[in-house]
Amino acid sequence: MTFLRVAKAATVLLVLLILQLELFASIRFFGVMPEIMLGAAVASGWHGGATEGAVMGFISGFLIDLYLASPIGLSALTYALIGYLLGIISELIAEDVERIVRTVISLIGIVLGLVTFVLFGELIAEPNLYNKNFGKILVVGGLYTGLFIPVLHFLMEWVFHQSNFRNNQIAMARPQRN
Amino acid sequence: MAVPQRSSGSRFTLAILLLTSVTLISLDARGYEPLANLRKATTTVIQPFRNIASTVFDPIADAWESLSEGDTLEKENILLREQLSELLEYRVTTEGAVEELAALRTQLDLENLGGQETIVAEVTARSVSNFDPYVIEIGKGTQSGIREGMAVVSVGGLIGRIEDPGLRNSRVRLITDPNVNVGVLAVGTNEIGILNGGGVGQPLKVMDGIPVSAQVEIGSIMVTSGSERSPYPGGFAVGTILEIVVDEINLEKELIVAPTGQLENLEFVTVILYQPINSDSGRNG
Repeated sequence: MTFLRVAKAATVLLVLLILQLELFASIRFFGVMPEIMLGAAVASGWHGGATEGAVMGFISGFLIDLYLASPIGLSALTYALIGYLLGIISELIAEDVERIVRTVISLIGIVLGLVTFVLFGELIAEPNLYNKNFGKILVVGGLYTGLFIPVLHFLMEWVFHQSNFRNNQIAMARPQRN
Repeated sequence: MAVPQRSSGSRFTLAILLLTSVTLISLDARGYEPLANLRKATTTVIQPFRNIASTVFDPIADAWESLSEGDTLEKENILLREQLSELLEYRVTTEGAVEELAALRTQLDLENLGGQETIVAEVTARSVSNFDPYVIEIGKGTQSGIREGMAVVSVGGLIGRIEDPGLRNSRVRLITDPNVNVGVLAVGTNEIGILNGGGVGQPLKVMDGIPVSAQVEIGSIMVTSGSERSPYPGGFAVGTILEIVVDEINLEKELIVAPTGQLENLEFVTVILYQPINSDSGRNG
């Protein structure tokens, strides 16, 4: 990562964290808020690849961990895995995939992230994570976060590439990974 | 479609990150002090940005709340009217209970409870987790004398206790959390039970400790027991008994309790600067 990219990534993550804490924590649908930091991990995996996705996922998870009652590292662990996974998936599929496909894959990534978070939480016997609202959180939280996926992809594209949204296709300049 | 080869570098990075995460989880679970300090320092650095954002976003959040909860408020209003009429029916009982509470306070040498040092704190945020809604954040921390485990009250009674205080902010674990235990005493009796949260919007429950023979009545006030091992000071109202269910197998009474403290739409709370004897008692007490 170049210095410029690190600065961009830090700015984006800080802005998203503050939005999550100060805005989206209050704007809830059916009592559920969007998981913006998880969405950031997903989008960074898609645009940055497996390594950058894992690193960005770890940092975004660590940042939100600072404000959660669950142990520090639980979200970092989950988001790093999801960022890495999305990085791998983005390498495997065609680069000119339609945006709708990208959105659906991102949405699946978010739901997978929520499930993994609760699963890891249960493994370390963290109370309150699996509760009767779990299904509602998955559906509403997934869809609500899904609304912000285009914005998150735009931001992560800005972090990892030059802006190259020329048409309704995905940008072609994903970096080659060896 | 050519599948690009992933370098071992990305796997190595992932492995390092996973190991770091597991280490952090382990250290945090053990209460590793430097990690707690790192959390406090980082949140303190981010706090000014949050304050700026808060001034911008608070009106939006308030507008959303009034829009989305308009219907809820109407229902709540109807419910409150019903509760009020029920409470009027129990007025005589309640008046008696208040007298009993005063007597109990004297009996337990809690006359100076009102003189307990307190601090008023603004509620700065609701829970930022979808999975753990039993937490609120307040804008005062260790700098103001707040310490882990201190009791937090709102209008009407106990609502929770301080958890993981930072320098200028703290988390409050609400008593509605099903994993929170509070030692309570039914006013007018000597029976101490263990009260548990029932979840968001649900009544509290006393499942253990009240024998069938105990003379508890619907409408009676439950107060914190203030027993030696309790992290809460004694004599604070927690709830009023809504329903009594007799468990004939365990020969105990299960009490359904409505919290007396305001738990919704909180703007300010009061922290009792009472240092529990055993502040490491987690969520129990």
